[in-house]
Amino acid sequence: MIAAASLRRSPPHVVIIGGGGTGGALAHDLALRGLRVTVLERGEVTSGTTGRHHGLLHSGARYAVGDPESAVECIEENRILRRIAPGSFEENDGLFVAVTDDDADFGPTFLAACEAAGIPTRRLERSAVLRLEPNLNPELRFAVQVPDATMDAMRLPLRFFATALANGAVVRPFTEVVELVCRGRTVTGVVAVEHATGRRVEIGADIVVNATGPWAERIARLAGVDVPLQPSPGVLVALRGRFTNMVVNRLHASGDGDIVVPQRALSVVGTSSWLVDDPDDLGVPSDHVERMRVEGARLVPAVARAPLRAAWSAARPLIGERGATTGRELSRTFRCFDHAAEGVEGFVTISGGKATTQRAMAEVTADLVCRKLGLDAPCRTREQVLLPHEAYYGLLRRATVPAGRLAG
Amino acid sequence: MSGLDGGARASSRAPSASSVEQQSAPARLRVYRHKPGAAAAPRFEIYEVPASAGATVLDALLWIRRHRDPGLMVRHSCLHASCGTCGMRIAGREALACVTSLAELGPGEVTVEPLANLPLVGDLVVDMEPSYARLRAIGRPLVRESELRPEGRPAEGIPGPTRFEDCIECGLCLSACPIVATDPRYLGPAGLAAAWRSVEEPRGGAVGRVLALADDEQGVWRCHTAWECTEACPSNVDPAGSIMRLRRAIVLAPRPKQ
Amino acid sequence: MSERELGDRDAGPGRPLDRRRGVAGWVDPRGRRLGGWAFILNRVTGIGIVVYLYLHLGVLSLLARGPEAWDAFIAVALSPLFLFFDVVLLAGLLIHGLNGIRVTLTGFGLVLDAQKALFVALMILAAIVLLVGAIRLVEVG
Repeated sequence: MIAAASLRRSPPHVVIIGGGGTGGALAHDLALRGLRVTVLERGEVTSGTTGRHHGLLHSGARYAVGDPESAVECIEENRILRRIAPGSFEENDGLFVAVTDDDADFGPTFLAACEAAGIPTRRLERSAVLRLEPNLNPELRFAVQVPDATMDAMRLPLRFFATALANGAVVRPFTEVVELVCRGRTVTGVVAVEHATGRRVEIGADIVVNATGPWAERIARLAGVDVPLQPSPGVLVALRGRFTNMVVNRLHASGDGDIVVPQRALSVVGTSSWLVDDPDDLGVPSDHVERMRVEGARLVPAVARAPLRAAWSAARPLIGERGATTGRELSRTFRCFDHAAEGVEGFVTISGGKATTQRAMAEVTADLVCRKLGLDAPCRTREQVLLPHEAYYGLLRRATVPAGRLAG
Repeated sequence: MSGLDGGARASSRAPSASSVEQQSAPARLRVYRHKPGAAAAPRFEIYEVPASAGATVLDALLWIRRHRDPGLMVRHSCLHASCGTCGMRIAGREALACVTSLAELGPGEVTVEPLANLPLVGDLVVDMEPSYARLRAIGRPLVRESELRPEGRPAEGIPGPTRFEDCIECGLCLSACPIVATDPRYLGPAGLAAAWRSVEEPRGGAVGRVLALADDEQGVWRCHTAWECTEACPSNVDPAGSIMRLRRAIVLAPRPKQ
Repeated sequence: MSERELGDRDAGPGRPLDRRRGVAGWVDPRGRRLGGWAFILNRVTGIGIVVYLYLHLGVLSLLARGPEAWDAFIAVALSPLFLFFDVVLLAGLLIHGLNGIRVTLTGFGLVLDAQKALFVALMILAAIVLLVGAIRLVEVG
């Protein structure tokens, strides 16, 4: 175990590839533990999958029946994020709405699963629901209130980045990793292109973390290892108009277009699902866009006619063996891969998960990184309140380091 | 992502949009390219981009980055006019690239430039810190009351419906304002709109402090009612109206006894 | 607030500070909307009116030099070219004055939502008065 004093004198350097929610939360976690951190992101931070999601802060109820491991992760992180990032959520709770009798029959299973996962629920009868949210489908049978909320998909992670910067982390957006530097089978650093100057820079690291979400396999291949990752995009649609304050979910097993998330003056309806090989080439199938309106309108009828603000796709990083045809084996949980298991030292991948669990993903990864470095440094991110997102760009300017200082 | 229960529902690989959607004529983009500090002077590069139906300017820029030049610096995140990061000048007009369709721009070359009046980081990316420095000084919270209020009590356990402020901090108003174009110390439309919101809905903040910041020759009195900020705003903030309402509030506010 | 507080210094290595468009940005027609044109018109007519003010004072000083100097000036003042500039002057005064009413009203938080319509209406009024005035001036000459 490295003594605290020597840790302060020459802390190990961790390079994080990927400036999404996970990369930001990990930089924050490692910086708090006293390590030297550099985040490299090829575009603007959160420009991968993180910025694109509908902004749901999961209660976990959505996964209670089919993926209880994810459900428990979600409700725990839901509480932690509200505590460490106050003022970053539209905190109006959510509803799971039974629109048909089949939905209603699913109710008892749903409620029991939520209870098992520790997700607080409150069943509301039809008239009470319509008083709360008059724009819901009047044919609803009943609804279950859960602690969903809306987060700002970009500004919440920005708080992790801002705090990490304030604690000495280096964040370098528009800096794209193109190679890994290896000594034998040990990864010792990266080569990156700094797009603002066109320069190639070599950055040494004690550990390199691959936190690139659905691009994790592309980066892992740079080290000659594989990650069982299946990028799975879905279409989302933003409509003009705020029709509900609460997040509205369909009370059923799962399906396309079964969630309407209010966000400022927009209503975001999601989502669909298909599989791709290349997360940079997603497309926006127009039949999926139509499906969002049709299915979303079953929850909130106004969705059928509301003007379209945007239609876009985002790729989920699903962990599981490739070749899965239905994807039923693919969970929404996250996993940390220590590639020492494949004989490559100094390289770790974290992927899977969702925005709600970004802090937990970071904790697990930081724990692994510290174990590999022989450090005894506990996680402090469950309690540490984050800086406001407005601090990010000012801190980023001050932290910009000339390239020459980063070698080794 | 939602819609999933223990895994992806998809049972097939859907082909990418470019092969199923109808192809429109390729779009021609004239894109500003410059790396500050580099020897090369700023220039415009012309790119021809295959455009599928519904494609946006951002789609085209990302196509260019993927297929022509990975060094093209473009900022984006949410793809639905909520994060405010993809602000730029398209055909001379401030807009969010993610919701500006190529179709609405018509045929012919489209000029794409970074926002004006802010320092350049590279290509289409500008430094937003001058805007955030002003927003920090004002201190308006991100969350506000939601105007959508149910009859009777809100959901149990919830103090009162809330939502995010309209302003997505995109900087389009700063780029459009002729005073920001000439005066480095002007608080600017984004900051003053935030100030108005802090006065209109204090949320525990000190209204007097905000009014004092706004009641300055570089605050509300520096505006010359060009109204370009409100026209440029993609998110219904109405900075010009906010500045005028602030003026009224300042003029009508009771004077402290000296 | 100081420039340092406003983040306008310390832009970082290799970042040009000032991409403010300056006055050149005022006259770039791309992206300019109605309110922006009103702004530019007010600047231009304002400068024009100030220049006219000095010319006018210069002309009035002729009065101090006796009836011959004044009569000579009046002869010039009735020439077609001079009357044309009178029309231009009238246009400037009308535009500046009537738009000025709009600026005053909006500046006090009044007529905010109708400011575009108000601008159009006032400019139509300006055009009508200008036409009547131009006709009268031509009759004089």
